[in-house]
Amino acid sequence: MLNFVKWLCLALCLVIYAQAEPVAEFFGRQSSSHTNNWAVLVCASRYWFNYRHMANALGMYRTVKRLGIPDSNIILMLADDVACNPRNKFPGCVYSSSAKTLDLYGDNIEVDYRGYEVTVENFLRVLTGRVEPSVPRSKRLLTDDRSNVFIYMTGHGGNEFLKFQDSEEISAFDIADAVAQMWEKKRYNELFFMIDTCQANTMYSKFYSPNVLATGSSLIHENSYSHENDRDIGVAVIDSYTHYVLQFMEGINKTSQATMQDLFDTYDPEKINSHPGVRSDLFPRSLRDALVTDFFGGVAQAEVLLPPEGSGDAHFSTVRTTDDASEVGADDRSDITGDTAHDFDVTGGLDSRPFLAAIIDGHDTTLDRTARAWASSAIVLLLVGWIASRK
Amino acid sequence: MWWRGCWKSCFVLALHLVAASAQGELFDEDLTLRPLRDGRLEARFSFTTLLKGASPRDPESLRQDDEAQHYTLFPLALGQILREHAVTELHLTLNAGKWNYDHWGYPDEPGVGTGAELWAWMGDTSLTSVDQRWQGLRQSLAGLFCASLGHLDDQRTTSPTLTFQPEGSLPNFTYPHQLRHATLPSEHVCTENLTPFLKLLPCKSLSGIAHLLNPHRVFDADWHGLGVHVRYRERIGVEVRLAFQAVLDPVRYSHDGRRDWSLRSVFDRIVEKACPVARSSKVQVELPGETSYTLSPGPTDVVNDMATYELTSAQEALDVAMKWPGENSFVYPDTSQVPPLTDISVRRNLKGASQAEARLTIEVTNNLPVQVKSGYLETMPWHLQFYLHTLRAYIDDSQRDDLVTILSYAPPVPHSRPALLQAVLTLPPRSTLRLTMDVSKPFLRYTEHPPDAQRGWDLPPAVLVPFAFGEDDSPEFETSASHEANSTWTQEREPYPRRPSRARRIYTPVMLVDLATPDFSMPYNVIIMSCTLIALIFGSVFNLLTRRFVVVRVDSDPATPDVNSVGGVADSVGGTGAAKKTS
Repeated sequence: MLNFVKWLCLALCLVIYAQAEPVAEFFGRQSSSHTNNWAVLVCASRYWFNYRHMANALGMYRTVKRLGIPDSNIILMLADDVACNPRNKFPGCVYSSSAKTLDLYGDNIEVDYRGYEVTVENFLRVLTGRVEPSVPRSKRLLTDDRSNVFIYMTGHGGNEFLKFQDSEEISAFDIADAVAQMWEKKRYNELFFMIDTCQANTMYSKFYSPNVLATGSSLIHENSYSHENDRDIGVAVIDSYTHYVLQFMEGINKTSQATMQDLFDTYDPEKINSHPGVRSDLFPRSLRDALVTDFFGGVAQAEVLLPPEGSGDAHFSTVRTTDDASEVGADDRSDITGDTAHDFDVTGGLDSRPFLAAIIDGHDTTLDRTARAWASSAIVLLLVGWIASRK
Repeated sequence: MWWRGCWKSCFVLALHLVAASAQGELFDEDLTLRPLRDGRLEARFSFTTLLKGASPRDPESLRQDDEAQHYTLFPLALGQILREHAVTELHLTLNAGKWNYDHWGYPDEPGVGTGAELWAWMGDTSLTSVDQRWQGLRQSLAGLFCASLGHLDDQRTTSPTLTFQPEGSLPNFTYPHQLRHATLPSEHVCTENLTPFLKLLPCKSLSGIAHLLNPHRVFDADWHGLGVHVRYRERIGVEVRLAFQAVLDPVRYSHDGRRDWSLRSVFDRIVEKACPVARSSKVQVELPGETSYTLSPGPTDVVNDMATYELTSAQEALDVAMKWPGENSFVYPDTSQVPPLTDISVRRNLKGASQAEARLTIEVTNNLPVQVKSGYLETMPWHLQFYLHTLRAYIDDSQRDDLVTILSYAPPVPHSRPALLQAVLTLPPRSTLRLTMDVSKPFLRYTEHPPDAQRGWDLPPAVLVPFAFGEDDSPEFETSASHEANSTWTQEREPYPRRPSRARRIYTPVMLVDLATPDFSMPYNVIIMSCTLIALIFGSVFNLLTRRFVVVRVDSDPATPDVNSVGGVADSVGGTGAAKKTS
């Protein structure tokens, strides 16, 4: 009994603490004015020994799909095929950890540009919208001035350039000019640029258009390193920077209130083996006002509702990240624990009544729809009968 | 009174339903499983949607707005592409692997060339050119199936009308139909091609036979490919057939080397339930000629060595299993002892160690005791040039050029058109015809090389179509004599039953050709740059250091130019004179 009371008090304190901060933040936050989200994910490397770059792009693909961006709004460019490569011991699968718990390829994937189609020209044409009339819609970036665009690039690069298939290079000036052209043609509301390559931070140093937020994996004169090798696959399976970003994103869901500042605060140069950089001088909002789901998630509704456990999610995410950091091999256990805690919080908190009421309302809505359908059918039948009886 | 009204309404509703179904669409799905003699299992999925009463769009009506398209079972995304570009017949295949004709026989789907192959029959018109619509068609299909079909440009497009004849009807439009055919051997097939493929099906991969298409298993097959076939059946409608074909290896999956298989062991899934909207849903298993196997559960029907399972909505899950209880482990047949399963066997290779020229060789073996005539199609990119005057035909080292007839050759145009060679080969009984021809390999511009230039260039497969059997020169596909000969030959030699011989395409494997490749590697570039800098700097400095500079004195007095110049000359002359006088 005493233990139960203690647990109840602890839960109440947690809920109150979680409630206070969102209320304050809610009135002071500047939300984004975007209405749709797009993602351009580029893996610019070819050959089997660049397996990790394909896994980087596919990990981002899985994240943005999980958070709500549909396939029609994702431009995925893979310069090589590792899933069905004859060297792949697990055909149709791409893994990003030696534990092989998560298949990034899965059963449902759409690659828009692949193989020799991944070129500098095609990438710039996608960004600027200068494509031939015969190019299908699935290969176009059909954004407007209310679109938040997330651009992720990975591959081999150097000072102010990124290599495409070891055959071409795209320079920081090219990307900056393309983004400027996007801005002039009103092709984005806010743009988030992320790049994982050697000397990655030089790639966004030439941006000069507004509303751009950028981050990279390593400084100038600094390499980006892989995170984990696998003996079955035979090569490195993911890069270090992208691994920790994806690890943070595992704690995000569609309704998370985590901000970009929270993401950047998790950068740890000692673990990543390079110094990630952030450039926000062109971004109009504070990083504490920009949600992670403003770029990674899909806008599902225009109505903004504040979940009661919004900050609680962030809190648990932080705890989970720490657990993941301490025990790399215990990802499953940490996830299970986090989910359990989340469930407990929902069921045990006294202030979860609005949430439960929302659930009940939703259920009633479904029942009401069914009842309305049956009632409409009955009314139609009655009308038909009445007309027949009149005749 | 009320009951009478209700009856009338129900009658009208029923009439409407009957009319709708009569005008509507039919969907059939079929899975054919065929055990092969080397322990493998050929699986062919076929999903056929028939749009009754429809006809292809006349290209003359491309200027006007098309009629609205409302389908229930027919794939809308594909239907829109067909109407947009006025395509009468369409065949697209994406394959990976090399089909082993000698041991696997003829495939259920004839288009087994490695890579991507797209061919279409389109009506001609004066409004838009066929090539414009061909470009739009391949771009639309590239977007629909996540393939790189945009590379099927004019440098790969040909019109081999003899080999790729229409499989359906061609309606009578104002202008005749034209064929466009292109192959892309470097294209691969993976989950991203299967995902939109399954989305075209009415039941997706949730129920029915398509549930067995597990990408982790079907892309582990020794050979796998998917195809989209659209044809017009006159007075019946437009038929779209989506096919997936794979050759799986149960021996490799099993832990004790047996060739027993079941749907669970091969696909890691079973047919949970039938597709509710399918008119017929069948799983067919071709029974081997030997009798040491068991098949469970019992089939619905057995006709001509083909066991059929009919899936119905009320039926429980189906897991077809075939076992060989008497075998401890599968013993592979000796490949040199067993006869080939096909009528002809083809081998093609490119010989020559030089970087500037090579020799193309085709060996066609006739496995039948009767003469066979075969169409031969060779498409070569423009960067390999045929020397047609060096074309030779040999049988056992004796030259037999008379066996190559009806030669048709379209020379290539650099950067524009590939070479197209079509011929009719006459194959004497049980002999090997060897065709050789010299080819030249050019130097390409460095911007024309692909990113992996050191891998080489993929060459499209050659296609052979045997079309006449027997000594008579009639073009009939099967004469009674050859049919009897085939039957006797089949009964004598082969325990596995085979379908009667018909005109079907045989693809050779793709080839790789090594062209002269500049070294694109970074160390090479670094070395060249460094040596260039060293040569320029060192050369200049060494030149400066080793050159001897001589001062040349010119005597002149600017006070009186005329007199001085004359005086100068006089001085020189005088000096010389003085010296002479003194001596």
